[in-house]
Amino acid sequence: MELQVMISMLATSYLVSLQIFAFTLLGAIPLGIPIALGRLSRFKPLAWLMTFYISIMRGTPLMLQMFVVFFVPYYVFGITNPPGFNLTACIIAFILNYAAYFAEIYRSGIQSMPRGQYEAAEVLGYSKPQTFFRIILPQGAKRILPTMGNEVITLVKDTSLAFSIGVAEMFTQGKGLVASQRNMIPFAICAIFYWVTCLLIEFLLRRIEKRLDYYHD
Amino acid sequence: MTDVTRAKIGTPAVSATNVRKAFGSKEVLCDISLTINHGEVVSLIGPSGAGKSTMLRCLTLLDTFDAGRLCYGDIEVCAPSVGTDGSETKAEYSKKAMREARMRFGLVFQNFNLFPHFSVLRNVCDAPISVQKRNSQEVEAEARKILDELGLTEHADKVPCQLSGGQQQRVAIARALAMNPDVLYFDEATSALDPKLTADMHALIRRLAGEGMAIGIVTHEMGFAREVSDRITFLFDGQIVEEGPAQQVIDNPQDERTQRFLAHSVD
Ligand SMILES: Nc1ncnc2c1ncn2[C@@H]1O[C@H](COP(=O)(O)OP(=O)(O)OP(=O)(O)O)[C@@H](O)[C@H]1O
Ligand SMILES: [Mg+2]
Repeated sequence: MELQVMISMLATSYLVSLQIFAFTLLGAIPLGIPIALGRLSRFKPLAWLMTFYISIMRGTPLMLQMFVVFFVPYYVFGITNPPGFNLTACIIAFILNYAAYFAEIYRSGIQSMPRGQYEAAEVLGYSKPQTFFRIILPQGAKRILPTMGNEVITLVKDTSLAFSIGVAEMFTQGKGLVASQRNMIPFAICAIFYWVTCLLIEFLLRRIEKRLDYYHD
Repeated sequence: MTDVTRAKIGTPAVSATNVRKAFGSKEVLCDISLTINHGEVVSLIGPSGAGKSTMLRCLTLLDTFDAGRLCYGDIEVCAPSVGTDGSETKAEYSKKAMREARMRFGLVFQNFNLFPHFSVLRNVCDAPISVQKRNSQEVEAEARKILDELGLTEHADKVPCQLSGGQQQRVAIARALAMNPDVLYFDEATSALDPKLTADMHALIRRLAGEGMAIGIVTHEMGFAREVSDRITFLFDGQIVEEGPAQQVIDNPQDERTQRFLAHSVD
C-alpha cells in the first residue's frame, strides 16, 4: 500500500479521535464545575456523594468504565445497541471520567483562593453565584491552567483507548494497518499525529497563559 | 454626597447595642455598645486580642453577634429574640435586612483585597453595576470622578498589582465609596502609608465625615487616631473601658488599663 493511502486512511480515523477529544472537553470542562462545588458543599450527603463519585472515577480504569457504559443498555435494560453506539458510549465514559479529574483540579483552584476575595465580595453585596462567576472562577481558571494543560494532553493520548470497544479511531486503524501491511510505518504515522496534536495544544496553552498574564496576585 | 446625607449629620448611622460574641467558651465581646453618627469619625483602639477585629467583622456582617442589637439607620439587622421563658436573648438576624444593610456600609480591608483580575476602574464599577444594578454609564462616570478625587486618574486602566500599597488602598476606598455607603470602615487605616500619605488620608477622612459619612476606624496608631477621630473607644478584653473625645482619651485617660496601654505605645 502506498504511503499516501495509509496517511489518508489514518487521517480519516484521526477525525474520529479528534471528535472524542473535542466532545470530551466540551462535556467534562463544564460538568466538572457542579461536581467540584458539590464536593465542597456544606450539605454533607452531597459532598460525600461527589467524593465517592470522584473516587470511583479516578480509582478504576477508564477502559473498564467504557465497557460499563457500553454494555449497560444491553445487560441492564435489554436494549440492543444501535449502530454507532460505541462512539457515543466512548464519549460518555470519557466525559464522566474526565469530569472527575477536572473537578478535583477545580477544587484545588477554588480552595487556593484567598479568603479575602470572598470577604471583599460579601461586603460589596455580591450573591454567591456572582462571587463564583465574577471573582473566583476567572482567577481560578488562571491558577489551574497548567494542571488542566497536563490533563488535556493526557486526553489526546487516552483517545486511543477507544479501540477497546471497537471505535474506529486512529489507533484502531493503525493497528489494523500494521497487521495487514506487516510493517511499523502506520504506528510511526500515528505517533506523529498524536505528537503534533499535543504540540498544537501546548502552543495554544502558552497563548492563553500569555493572555492571562496581564495580572498576578 | 447628597444634601440628604448632610441633613442626617448627628443622627446614628450605625449602632450596636449590648452586643456579645464568644468563640467557644471564650467571650471576646462582652456587652458592648457603640454608635457612630453621620459626620462622625470614631476609632476603636486597644491591645492585641482585645476584640477589635472581631467587632469590625461583626459590624460588617462577615461574622455575627451572639446577642444584642445591630442597626444601620432604620434597618434593624439583628435584634434580641426573647425565648419562651422570656429571658434568653440570642441575636436573630434577618437575611433581608442583612442584604439591605450591606448597601449602607463599606469596608477598606487592611490588605485591601482588591480583585486582582479587574482593572482599577472595573474594581470600582463592578459592584454598583452588578449588585446595585445601576446604569453602567452613570456608574462609570461617577467612578472616574471618585478616582480623580483620589488622585488615581492615570491608573484607571491598570490592574492592582501595578500599583503601590498606598495607591491600592485608595482604590479600595474608591471601590467602597462607589457604593454610596453611609458608613465607611477602615481596618488599620494607615499602617501601609508614609507620613505624606497619612496626612492625605487624614484630610480625606475628615472631608468624607464633613459630607455626612460615618467613619469607623480600627487602628494601632494612637497618633493618627488622636488627630483624625472625634471620639475614641478603648477596648480591653472585650469590654469598653474608656470612651470619649479623642484628645481626652489619649492625653488624659481615666481608666488605669488605658493609661498603661498608652504608656507603652508612645509614638
Ligand atoms: N475565629 C476565631 N476563633 C476563635 N477565636 C478567635 C477567632 N477570632 C478571634 N478569636 C479570639 O478572639 C480574641 C479577639 O481577637 P481579635 O482578632 O478581635 O483581636 P484584635 O483586637 O483585633 O487584636 P489585634 O490588635 O492583634 O488585631 C482573641 O483572643 C482571639 O484569639
Ligand atoms: Mg485585629
